[in-house]
Amino acid sequence: MEASAASGRRPIRVARRVATGLALALVAGLLALLVWDVMHKESAQGFVNQIAAGDDPAAPGFSLKPLNGGGPPVSLASLRGRPVVVNFWASWCAPCKAEAPLLERAYAKWHGKGVAFVGIDANDFAGDARKFVVRHDLSFRMLHDGSGSTLGRWGLTGFPETYFIDARGRAVDHIGQQIQNESEIDTGIRKALS
Amino acid sequence: MRTCVVALAALALAAAAPALASEQHPTLNELEGEVMCPVCHTTLDMSDSPAAKRIEAFIAARIKAGDTKSEIKRRLVANFGEGILAAPPKRGFGLLAWLLPLVGIVVGGGALGFGAWKWSQGREPAVAVAGPPLDPELERRLDDELRRFDG
Repeated sequence: MEASAASGRRPIRVARRVATGLALALVAGLLALLVWDVMHKESAQGFVNQIAAGDDPAAPGFSLKPLNGGGPPVSLASLRGRPVVVNFWASWCAPCKAEAPLLERAYAKWHGKGVAFVGIDANDFAGDARKFVVRHDLSFRMLHDGSGSTLGRWGLTGFPETYFIDARGRAVDHIGQQIQNESEIDTGIRKALS
Repeated sequence: MRTCVVALAALALAAAAPALASEQHPTLNELEGEVMCPVCHTTLDMSDSPAAKRIEAFIAARIKAGDTKSEIKRRLVANFGEGILAAPPKRGFGLLAWLLPLVGIVVGGGALGFGAWKWSQGREPAVAVAGPPLDPELERRLDDELRRFDG
């Protein structure tokens, strides 16, 4: 009698252990997700801090489609070997409108000297962005990141922001707001060239 | 029985009609609560950012052009990705977000029910405690007294 009662309790004990194990695994999984999220945010912000500290961190990559919709995606790695100015913008952003002529003038001045300019239009309607490019007569390469998937990795906190990448793919300077004058761009490019 | 079926059908129709109207003729107000501002990470109705205002203007223009709610959402997703929707899609990985709470409720309810059942099984029924046998003489006297009392 006692033996049958004991054998009846065994499946319950096993079920209880399985349920406890599952609950612990779920809690551990959620905890790991939280840690990963915090670390990820810290590393993105750390990237900007490293540039400010002069550590020249490796720039996060990107692979984005051209804004005009034609051609294959363009990656930062494909531009390796020459300095790159990466400007993040959106058509609805007023400071982006204000700095657009400065970027175009800098592009005219530097692109003949081997400096690449890339505009990344993010969190924006591609149609609006194309009109913006025409209206401001921008002639440098424009890419589209509608979902803003690159922004987190680059540590962006707003628009516009501009990064200066050297020929080895290291970020050497960063302007975290609207560019006020052309000399800011020149300074960044000279750092990337040195 | 027939009345019951008719009532159920009427109830189903009454519930479906507003949903259909919302799909065919969406309003800006309802879509503002279902679409995210990609910059501020809140729904459009909670944001005054230029990006949110631009998306609201886009939605208003598409409503005016006669798009259905699904068409408007499809256009937004095509440009901004799935993250533009406040609720995850009911397919693929997004389906998990819809199913997990239901699974949690079912599993939690089952565990509670099982626990309650186990608890009720584990309880010993109340048993009258039998004392030591009475002395025959005392028992006889007690019976006499009770008979006298009843009489």
